[in-house]
Amino acid sequence: MADLTLRDLEVRFPGLERPALEIPALELRSGEQVALTGPSGCGKTTLINVLTGLERVRHGHVDWQGTDLVTLGEGARDRWRAANVGLVMQDFHLFPGLSAIENVLLPQRLARFRLPRGAKEEARRLLKRVGIARLDQPVETMSRGQMQRVAVARALLAHPGIIVADEPTASLDGDAGTAVADLLTGLAREVGATLIVASHDPRLVGHLGRVLRLDGGRLEG
Amino acid sequence: MFRFILADLRRHWAGVVAVTLIVALATALGVVVTLQERALRLGSARAADAFDLVIGAPGSETQLVLSSVFLQAAPLPLMPGSVLAGLVADPRVAWAAPVGFGDFVEGSPIVGTTAALVEGVGGVSEGRGFEHIGDAVIGASVGMRPGDRFHPQHGQVGGPGGVHTEASYHVVGRLKPTGTPWDRAVLVPIQAVWNLHRHEEHEEHGGQGDSEGQGASEAQPGQAEPHSFFAPAPASDEDGHDALGFDAAVDPAAVADAGAPGLPAIVVKPASIADAYKLRQQYRSERTVAVFPGEVLTRLYGTLGDVRFILSMVATGAQALVGAAILLVVTVHILQRRRQIGALRALGAPRHAIFAIVWSEAFAIIGVGLCLGFAVGYGAARALSTAFTAASGITLPVTFEPADLFRLGLLLLVTGIIASLPALLAYRQPPASALRG
Ligand SMILES: Nc1ncnc2c1ncn2[C@@H]1O[C@H](COP(=O)(O)OP(=O)(O)O)[C@@H](O)[C@H]1O
Ligand SMILES: [Mg+2]
Repeated sequence: MADLTLRDLEVRFPGLERPALEIPALELRSGEQVALTGPSGCGKTTLINVLTGLERVRHGHVDWQGTDLVTLGEGARDRWRAANVGLVMQDFHLFPGLSAIENVLLPQRLARFRLPRGAKEEARRLLKRVGIARLDQPVETMSRGQMQRVAVARALLAHPGIIVADEPTASLDGDAGTAVADLLTGLAREVGATLIVASHDPRLVGHLGRVLRLDGGRLEG
Repeated sequence: MFRFILADLRRHWAGVVAVTLIVALATALGVVVTLQERALRLGSARAADAFDLVIGAPGSETQLVLSSVFLQAAPLPLMPGSVLAGLVADPRVAWAAPVGFGDFVEGSPIVGTTAALVEGVGGVSEGRGFEHIGDAVIGASVGMRPGDRFHPQHGQVGGPGGVHTEASYHVVGRLKPTGTPWDRAVLVPIQAVWNLHRHEEHEEHGGQGDSEGQGASEAQPGQAEPHSFFAPAPASDEDGHDALGFDAAVDPAAVADAGAPGLPAIVVKPASIADAYKLRQQYRSERTVAVFPGEVLTRLYGTLGDVRFILSMVATGAQALVGAAILLVVTVHILQRRRQIGALRALGAPRHAIFAIVWSEAFAIIGVGLCLGFAVGYGAARALSTAFTAASGITLPVTFEPADLFRLGLLLLVTGIIASLPALLAYRQPPASALRG
């Protein structure tokens, strides 16, 4: 999976004169590890929303191996995302009241009636891999670093071909941030997934093979 | 999904409990109004069952029914004794019995009547009926036993009055339970009431002359005049039992005597329905009124129905306000959680799952509140009925009918529809908000 072809992308928000994003062409290869940097407000999150089908695009093409997200409806984009994208967000979005393993399983539980076979074993394996020992610890009692590692495990559960992270280390302190950065790059490489990370954290950006710099909604260089 | 809903509800348990209780209280309010009104209707209709036709002197028909059927003590005008004589002799009458209010004993009204009424309200479960003038048959819930003796008291307990020490009734039987005020009544032969009052009046007049044998004020035929049955008695001197004639056998012919003393009310069991209408027609005259208690009750229900309507409007209004307030709270709550909802979507939850979660939570909270409200309302109605029974003797049967279940179902249906509003709101939340601050 992966191989992105992006053409003539233009995203505008009501009330903004200039387009929030204006990218004539961008291509990514399968398994590539890409950093998305730039000053705050330059359009990193907007681009990620576009690439994951969270934001509806009216102008251009966002083609992942023949699937053009621009032509898909809301429901179809949800299904595509569930099948192909693992997402890690700055503020984790873990659900309090549920244990670590329940949080890892939650997207699968919500997406279908029954858990697919082997999902629980896979969740245990992933949690162990990211260094979480107590699988049934309630997430609200965890440290921020632990929380983000649970979120990484959750993103990988459905074996997505694309792993996307938006400022995954921005709300973590030094060591925890480094650990998460290492996990993301290491795990993506292990499973051969394409990794796209929006960040201005040098610990993370430095690890990634390719750096895209955004400014005012346009790609530099 | 179920786990997520449970965890979510548990996390917001304080709000969940508050909303559930508010819904429950608003629901209970409406349920109590409905159930209580129905109980009052059923209970009073049941109490009036044995009383097909009541005849009294012209005056308030409602008061006549309240006094004779529900034994609410109130001074009633009297009709001449000849009326009862005429009814007893009438072939269209199965039985007719006087209802004369005597005194009280331990808060129970003493009702002067005849054996016909003892049978008419269900007969005795214990002991026997009247044989002597001084015999008494007690209602099912009167705190005495056959074999006991008691002195009647003027007026209510604690009120002004005195004890007729010279009079002593002998309890000979107990009525079957009726679930009516008659359960608290003490029935005595009407002659005993007459004798007692004649005796008093005799003493009032200082024993001079023979005032025609009957109470002077009661002996004026065709004249309906108010009469207080509860006038304080003068201090009585020591008189033998014989002065009251309580040892004499009950003479059925005495009540059929055209010269008998006046009576406040007569209960009539007509031989047939046709006879009932004919009798009512005939006894609606200048001297008497005849009413079907059922008819008077229906008229009262009319008024009651208006009250119920107002109360149920109040209850409905409260429910609507509560519904609107909850909808508002839920909407604000959904908007506050739009990032979380967006995150669920971003993580791969389909929109229908989001809809199902929000709908289930709203429906569960309101639905539990509704069911709880029905239970609380039912319990409250039962408690109110029990209190009412204790105060009046009228059993108010609180019943839960299929119509109530239907109403609950309807409310749940409405809840289902209402719950889909916030669910739809959540359904339409753009998922892109998950990544925005
Ligand atoms: N829903 C929106 N409506 C209007 N403007 C928006 C909206 N979302 C983002 N923007 C604007 O688009 C620009 C890019 O935002 P974003 O992609 O979040 O930047 P970054 O993630 O690089 O900090 C910013 O100027 C932001 O204010
Ligand atoms: Mg951003």
